[in-house]
Amino acid sequence: MIGQGAAGEFELPQASEGRARRPAQSFWSASWEELRENRIGMAAGVFILVLAVIAISAPLLAQLVTHYQPTRQDLDSQFQPPDARHLLGADETGRDTLTRLIYGAQISLGVGFLAVALQLVVGGGVGLLAGYYGRWVDELLMRFVDMVLAIPAIFLFILMSILFRPNALTLAVIIASVGWGVVARLVRGEVLSVKNRDFVLATRSIGAGDARLILRHLLPNVLPVMVVAASLGVGAVILVEAALDFLGLGIHPPTPSWGNMLSHAETYYHHSPYLVIFPGVMIFLTVLAANIFGNAVRDAFDPRLR
Amino acid sequence: MLLRFLLRRALAAIPVVVGVTLITFLLMHSAAGSYVPGLSLNPNLTPKDVEQLRSELGLDQPIYVQYLDWIGVAWIMQKVGLAGVLVGAHGITPGLLQGSFGHSMVDGTAVGGQIFERLPNTILLTLTAILLGVLLSIPLGVMGALSRGSKLDHFFSFLSIAGVAIPQFWLGLMLILIFSVKFHDWGLPFLPSSGTTTPFTGGDLLDRLAHLVLPAVVLSFFYLAIWSRYTRSSMLEVLSQDYVRTARAKGMSERRVTYLHGLRNAVIPLVTLVGLELPGLVSGALVVEAVFSWPGIGLLAFQRALAYDYTMVLGIVTFAAVLVVLGNLVSDLLYAAVDPRIRLQ
Repeated sequence: MIGQGAAGEFELPQASEGRARRPAQSFWSASWEELRENRIGMAAGVFILVLAVIAISAPLLAQLVTHYQPTRQDLDSQFQPPDARHLLGADETGRDTLTRLIYGAQISLGVGFLAVALQLVVGGGVGLLAGYYGRWVDELLMRFVDMVLAIPAIFLFILMSILFRPNALTLAVIIASVGWGVVARLVRGEVLSVKNRDFVLATRSIGAGDARLILRHLLPNVLPVMVVAASLGVGAVILVEAALDFLGLGIHPPTPSWGNMLSHAETYYHHSPYLVIFPGVMIFLTVLAANIFGNAVRDAFDPRLR
Repeated sequence: MLLRFLLRRALAAIPVVVGVTLITFLLMHSAAGSYVPGLSLNPNLTPKDVEQLRSELGLDQPIYVQYLDWIGVAWIMQKVGLAGVLVGAHGITPGLLQGSFGHSMVDGTAVGGQIFERLPNTILLTLTAILLGVLLSIPLGVMGALSRGSKLDHFFSFLSIAGVAIPQFWLGLMLILIFSVKFHDWGLPFLPSSGTTTPFTGGDLLDRLAHLVLPAVVLSFFYLAIWSRYTRSSMLEVLSQDYVRTARAKGMSERRVTYLHGLRNAVIPLVTLVGLELPGLVSGALVVEAVFSWPGIGLLAFQRALAYDYTMVLGIVTFAAVLVVLGNLVSDLLYAAVDPRIRLQ
């Protein structure tokens, strides 16, 4: 198991006699090797990576490849079907769909990763504190989690979106403000199962303080669970973000996002259905890849599946 | 023992409910503040009129008084002669504790009345979707498990992974594009894409069913994806049990083994999984309701939130949250009734 690296020092020398010793391998490198062997999972991971690179280099791509700016209107190419000039067509004000999709990736992936990171930090912190200190700290923190999770998430999102009129950053905070509760419950449960093990008692008895115990000994033990939660969370966040944009509660035009490109779908149905199809396909493929990669990470990293 | 467990759980739910009302109230309050909907649209109102309106709506009171008034504590305090404690209080009305959700800021209608008017629509939609999900996911899961590793099984697996990844609102838009718009263009019988009935001419059973098809299918797709996967793995697990081997060994036909021993035991965990969806009955359909203009409770909350009708939104959110807490309580109790080990914890 992890967190018990010191055990090797007590190993008797004759234990390895007679057979070749297997090189010691850490939990992380073993998990990574297992993940690498999952070819479908790795392909999905590479897809996300490529998409991230595209999102980051969006201004460059707009300059060199598509030759359009995402908000540049051109009434001559209004509702232009896909052709050589506009590879994926243009919308009601003649803005290039491909360029907007590339910029939209910034929002989806940016909010996705940021919200998950926030969930992990806050949820992980609360879970560690509640699990480690127990008693009233635990009671207080976890009852608060109960309250937050009792309010249907979509209502919290709506209320906070009205409160903040979000940009990408605040939108990530809004989405994370609900998701952290789930992470906190997960981490707390894991801490409870770890904190009564002998190595914790041993560490404490040689004089380690609370902070050291939590950060150096408990955190590494709950990290695998957090990695799994994170990898499965990205897809879910991207879906929520797109739905909020679609409802007009997330990223506001003219900033292009995959969700808000679909806001006026009903006006596109008759003459340009491709405007309804492309952004949705992008959301679908991205979430699909994120989920497949997430499943692969879970299979490789979840200690409970070993 | 069981009774004590029941009591403890019920008592633990009370602070959660109180906390929920506090969180939603504070959020709504910071979002809307003392804004009165539509006020700025009327040029005939003087600042004095505005003040009077605010005062009538109670928006000039301290925030804690407004909260106590809303949940009905202020009303009780007034009854027992403690109103003096509430500095700046006036016009105290019965609140949540007295079973009153108050009145809409936009049109003055009773919030409770609006909720119960919209509730049947939402419940019809969600229950239909859950029913569709159960009826389709069990056969799909069983077929996948029985033909494990086959092309069919792989196809079902992909379908369920895709079902979780597809944005619900986009699935709705695509189905409208195909079955409402394109079918209409091609001169085929097409499905309606919004509302519960055709205005003016519709309203009979067939018309209602036609309106129900698309939103219910979209909503059930997600359930289908999760539950069929679950049935499959549960079925595989059950079929590897000793009692299944025993049944086979004593010469029972494969058919009877599969359905009598296998399916019956595999479906039990699914029941609890379906039960988990019940608390979300009210809020779970919001996005689908928005896509199909389905006049349910989610659409009401969404539209009224955009209009800053905060008594309405507060009422709906609290109502939905209390249902979640109650739903969790009921499922806890059911678990405890089924599994004695849980009670001891």
